Parts: sequence; structure tokens; C-alpha cells
Amino acid sequence: MNVIPCSIQTLKGLYDISGVEVGQHLYWQIGGLQIHAQVLITSWVVIAILLGSVIIAVRNPQTIPTDGQNFFEYVLEFIQDLSKTQIGEGYGPWVPFIGTMFLFIFVSNWSGALLPWKIIKLPHGELAAPTNDINTTVALALPTSVAYFYAGLSKKGLGYFGKYIQPTPILLPINILEDFTKPLSLSFRLFGNILADELVVVVLVSLVPSVVPIPVMFLGLFTSGIQALIFATLAAAYIGESMEGHH
Amino acid sequence: MASTVMASSSAATIHFLRRCSQNPSRAIPKSIRAQIGRDEKPPLLIRRLTTLLKPSAAAAAVAAAIAATPMPALAEQMEKAALFDFNLTLPAIALEFLLLMVALDKIYFTPLGKFMYERDAAIRAQLGDVKDTSGEVKQLEEQAAAVMKAARAEISAALNKMKKETTAELEQKLAEGKKRVEEELAEAIAALENEKEEALKALDSQIKLLGDEIVSKVLPST
Repeated sequence: MNVIPCSIQTLKGLYDISGVEVGQHLYWQIGGLQIHAQVLITSWVVIAILLGSVIIAVRNPQTIPTDGQNFFEYVLEFIQDLSKTQIGEGYGPWVPFIGTMFLFIFVSNWSGALLPWKIIKLPHGELAAPTNDINTTVALALPTSVAYFYAGLSKKGLGYFGKYIQPTPILLPINILEDFTKPLSLSFRLFGNILADELVVVVLVSLVPSVVPIPVMFLGLFTSGIQALIFATLAAAYIGESMEGHH
Repeated sequence: MASTVMASSSAATIHFLRRCSQNPSRAIPKSIRAQIGRDEKPPLLIRRLTTLLKPSAAAAAVAAAIAATPMPALAEQMEKAALFDFNLTLPAIALEFLLLMVALDKIYFTPLGKFMYERDAAIRAQLGDVKDTSGEVKQLEEQAAAVMKAARAEISAALNKMKKETTAELEQKLAEGKKRVEEELAEAIAALENEKEEALKALDSQIKLLGDEIVSKVLPST
């Protein structure tokens, strides 16, 4: 409890070490609208990583796959399997959507934990996983809503809206509410988990700069993977749910 | 350790308070702003805030003391902290996501999926071919069995024919032999008969002689 003897400089130094810049953004102005530049930059890096690795590995597929191709074949099979389990019949056209969702979130989350973003100093805010910005997670959750509406409507036409009074019309408000809670829970779950994970790591590093944060970092990697899987699985489950017939 | 925690938490409080004092209208949440009059001065504001935020009393005292001395460099860094700040980033990321989806579909999902499907199909076809070949083998085996059967039948037929021929030949030879034997027998019998007749004839002539002799011996010649 030796607080009062601390000089202001000491406090400033401690604050700089534990500088958790929550909600600090680097703003760009585009046509009178503001944009979070750090999210945009990191998302470009993530997209570049994805496209680059895919192009290198899959450019020239071999019958007996090489290492990179083998990995991407495994990923594709994993995504196909996931889509098949959740959507069932007619899952084929949804594989790109589910797969991109999974890959983008996964690489985003891991980039936050593995890439040394902090080396690059920004005037405001800091570079981190794109998924620790609520804009990104909502931007991923809303297309999911659109996707499952599209899936239901294209499969069953206007009869899709019959599910709102299933199994009884009393549940109509709850069924309508579900359409709002789905994207809300999707986006907030991802946002909260990734932000919390990064905060925990940063705070722990500021308190004990060595060894102790390492297990938490591994836990963070694990959580990141799980969150990507959960997001993709739930998106697929919502699509499958709106496509399946009710008897 | 405890002092470090204390210090860093109090430092955070200091910065929050500093931000408030520098730029109250932007940094303070609306609810708090509503409670504080617009024309109230920073020291009062800080006191209100310390009671609102309830950090430990010591930290608050330090915060208040430090907040009084201006630190422009730090204050500049703390602009508005916006966690739920929706703006153009949202549509931008959504657009990026959609473009990424199209791009990945073009260079990854569709081509590699198609490639894997075709490879699977090829492997399956080859496996099917192997199964067909086993059918062929079965057919060949059947053919071989048929050939063997035919060969066996042919051989047994030839054998039978040979047997028959041999038997016929043998029987013919036997018959010939029998015939010869019979002929010889008949000849021999005929020869014997002849001899017998001759002997009988000779005996007849001798019988007469002997009779005469006997008569001449029995009956005294008179």
C-alpha cells in the first residue's frame, strides 16, 4: 500500500506499461463518415494472409497432396463436415459462407494473439485482432441473419414465415424476438470473448511480465479457436434450422 | 505486488479523471453528465465522480491531487473512449467479408472441392475396376474349369473308346482262338473216329480169325 510516496512519473510509467487502450480508435474520415482505421488495417492483413496462403497452397492441386495442400484439404473437409452436420441436405452452396466465416474469424482471433501488432505504433488506439471491435462482429453477424432468411425463403418461399407461429401462435413474439437475439448474441459473444481475452493477457503482462501470462495466452489461443468454431457452427445451425421442414 | 496493483489501478483512475477534467462533455457518460450541472467546475466534478465511481479513498485522494496538476501529453492521448462505436467500419468489414467470401470461393472452396471430388470419383472408379477384374478372374476360372471338364470328358471318351476297341479286338482274337481250337478239336476227334473205325475194322477181321482159332481150339478138329 505504498501508493502516496510514488511520484507522478512512476505512476505514469506503470500506466504506460499497463496501457490498456480500450475503446481507443484511430479514426479516418471517408466522405464525412468515420472509420476505425486500425480494424481496417488488421482486417486487410488477415485477408492478405488468408488469400496468400490459399493461393500458394492450392494454386496447383496435386493428386497426392503436398503439405500445404493437405492442410487446406483438411480444412475444407472440416468445413464441409461442419456444414453437413448442421445444415444437412443441400449444404453444398453454404460451404463458402460458413468456411469464410470460420477462416476469417479464426485467423483474425489468432492474429490478435500471435502477430506482434504492438510493434507498429499508431497515433491513437492500437492494432489488435479485428474481432475485438464490435463493428466487425456485427458485420459478421448481420450477413448471417440475411443468410438464414435467404436460405429459408429460397427453400420454402413465403411459407417460411409459417415457422413464426410454430408450434403455437402464442410463441409469435418470442419467435420474432429470436431474429434479433441471434445476431446480437453472435456478435456480442465473439466481441466480448476476444476483447476480454486480450485484456486479460495485457493486464497480466503488466502485473507479472514473465512466465505467468503464458498459460493465459495459450488459453487465449484456445478460446479464439473455439469462438471461431462456435460462430461458424451457429451460423450453419441457423441456416439449417430455417431450411429444415417442420411437420 | 499489492502496491503495484494499487498503483496501476490508481493510475487508471487518474487518467479517467484527467480525461474528465480536460474534456468533460465528451468523456463522461450521459447519465453522469445529467447529474452534473453543465456549469459546475472541475474540482466539484471530480469530487462527484469519485463518489460515483467509488475507488478506494486513498486512490481518490491521490487522483484528486494529481488531477490538479495538468499533464497535457497524457491528456491528449485520452480522447473519447468508445467501445460501442458503430460507424462506417461495419459496412466496410461486411463488404470486405463478402469480397473475401467470393474470392475464397473462386480460388479455394470451389476448385479444391471439385478437385477433391474428382479425385474421389477417380479412386472409386479404380476400385470399381478392381472389383470388375475380380469378376473377370472368376469368369476366367470358370472358363478354365469348363476347359478342364471338357478335356476330362474327351479323355474319358477316348479311354472308353480305346477300351471298347481293345475289348473288341481281344474278343475277336479270343473268338478266333476258340474257333481254331474247336476246329483242331473237331479234326482230332475226326481223326480219332477214323482210327477207331479202322481199329474196329481191324478188330472185326481179327475177331473172325480169333473166332476161327477159338472154334478150332475148342472143338477138336474132326
